[in-house]
Amino acid sequence: MKNKTWLQGALNIYLIEYALSAILRQKYKNFFILSIFTFLTFLLASVFFITNSIKYELASTLEALPQIIVQKIKAGRQDDIDVSALDEILSIAGVSDAVARVWGYYYFQNAGVNFTLMGVDEYENQYKNSLEKIVQKFDFNNEENIPSMIVGQGVKENMLRNYYKQYFNFIKSDGTLKKVNIAGVFDGDTQLESNDMIVMSKDEVREIFDIQQTKATDIIVKVANPEEINTIASKIRLMYPECRVITNQDLQVSYQNIFDYKSGIFLALFIVCLFTFFMIVYDKASGLSSEEKREIGILKAIGWRVDDVLKEKFYESFILSFFAYVLGIGFAFAFVYIFQAPLLRNIFIGYSELKTSFELPFVFDTQTLFLVFFLSVPIYVAATILPSWKVATLEADEVIR
Amino acid sequence: MIELKDVTKIYEVNKNESVRALSEINLKIKEGELVILKGSSGSGKSTILSLIAALSKPTSGEVLVDTKKISKLPDNFSSEYRRDNIGFVFQKYNLIPNLSVKENILLPLVPLNLDAQSMHQMSESVMQRFHIEHKQDVLVRNLSGGEQQRAAIARANINNPKIILADEPTANLDEKLSLHFIEMLRELKASNKTIVIATHDPLFFGLDFVDREIQVHNGSLVL
Ligand SMILES: Nc1ncnc2c1ncn2[C@@H]1O[C@H](COP(=O)(O)OP(=O)(O)O)[C@@H](O)[C@H]1O
Ligand SMILES: [Mg+2]
Repeated sequence: MKNKTWLQGALNIYLIEYALSAILRQKYKNFFILSIFTFLTFLLASVFFITNSIKYELASTLEALPQIIVQKIKAGRQDDIDVSALDEILSIAGVSDAVARVWGYYYFQNAGVNFTLMGVDEYENQYKNSLEKIVQKFDFNNEENIPSMIVGQGVKENMLRNYYKQYFNFIKSDGTLKKVNIAGVFDGDTQLESNDMIVMSKDEVREIFDIQQTKATDIIVKVANPEEINTIASKIRLMYPECRVITNQDLQVSYQNIFDYKSGIFLALFIVCLFTFFMIVYDKASGLSSEEKREIGILKAIGWRVDDVLKEKFYESFILSFFAYVLGIGFAFAFVYIFQAPLLRNIFIGYSELKTSFELPFVFDTQTLFLVFFLSVPIYVAATILPSWKVATLEADEVIR
Repeated sequence: MIELKDVTKIYEVNKNESVRALSEINLKIKEGELVILKGSSGSGKSTILSLIAALSKPTSGEVLVDTKKISKLPDNFSSEYRRDNIGFVFQKYNLIPNLSVKENILLPLVPLNLDAQSMHQMSESVMQRFHIEHKQDVLVRNLSGGEQQRAAIARANINNPKIILADEPTANLDEKLSLHFIEMLRELKASNKTIVIATHDPLFFGLDFVDREIQVHNGSLVL
């Protein structure tokens, strides 16, 4: 009693010991609860981890989106735009830069997927930083006048699967072949976007798609003040009524639809319901066995107070559920970040085969850990304490009779 | 020391049915006294013990222990009152079958959060006194009836209570073990405890160290 620290006073080791022995005395029942609890925490945490990863991925993708895209529309269809429009757009007040892009989707028949062929020009500003880095790093016209390209990870894998290791033969619009060396693999800041991308010089892209020197696929406009995006977009619309002007806000909506992380939130809700449901069913089905009731009665009869009983039940349920929580989180970490969430990720990404081969980036978020904790441990603790409290407040005589 | 004043206890079995277990009984037990409550099954003996231990409350009347009205105590204080004053040897022993003898005996001390040394000393002392220390690590469910009873008595004494209550202590024992219990009782009496035994076992009748035998009949005391 004398030499006790504050902690020893606050934490009753014997009560914790008793709680542990109480857990072990009901091995099978508690093992069953532990398994289900671990599984539910695992599911819940996995959903949140995947959602976080995708949100992160999405945020970086959206950040990289061009502010304004100008496309020429001819007979309701996108057509090549005149490069001369660049200078007129650049003269609009508030526009900081405008870049003509030469690119297109190339259908790779062997794999049945589309690649994005993106043309770059070393002497020009690139419309985004990731491309700038690539242009600086690689030389697109090196050996023996065979052009080369940088490909995304997904493209690389698809080509390898079809035995294109060093080069690839593009079929041009006149039906002849164009050989392009694979000079390297692209590691963009956002995998989702770069995965299906091929970068090569503008001239090669022009040749493959048969785009004239005076034309471009579209024009990207940079605006100094993001607030002005809409005004400038309207000005461009007035100047080029035959053009479609798309702002990054328009694009955000469609990107968000690609990664339906909202479905993840619904899934999380569903799991919470499952959780509660399990707890209610468990409580109804087993409640307190007559043995457990009797034990509480005995403890009361030999001098335990109601709060001693409840403290013990708290430790018992907390130890069990916290252990399950830690296990569940651990499994979810491994499942999502090491094994890349097989099965579950398909719920979130309704996209073509190639797009889904991106990696879930590791996002450490303590908030998620807290959230999962509060959605699980206190529920179980409450579900344990409540029935015990009911029994503990009865007259001991009634309970042990 | 212990005083029951006009105590009536009615058990509500259900809405339409109630059992009158005790009718306006009056009883005084002095400190250090050993009292035997005798009477047939259903006469109300256990109910009296339960009221003295504050395990239940009288329907009317009051129970005083050391002039304290224990029949009016809120639940948490009843627990503390038991912890500090009462050693109860229950008829069915009320041990926890999947705990060892020593763990069972230490159970009343768990909420007190004492230091390990005093816990150890206290349990050693009662286990020796009631001859159960050789079984201290055996699970209670593997004990014989007599051993269980000794464990129950040891547990009832770990808090060094002033009052010892025992309900039908020999009901599950053969004659040899019953006589052994009576010897332990003599020892407890010698240590100046106030003791109340509820029993219908004739072995207890006419013992030299018993101060009083009280006949309970149909919820009343026969004087
Ligand atoms: N919890 C209870 N609910 C209903 N009736 C009870 C309860 N406890 C005791 N009784 C009844 O009260 C009467 C006295 O019981 P009890 O005190 O156990 O007698 P004894 O110990 O002398 O056998 C009996 O008729 C018994 O059935
Ligand atoms: Mg009885």
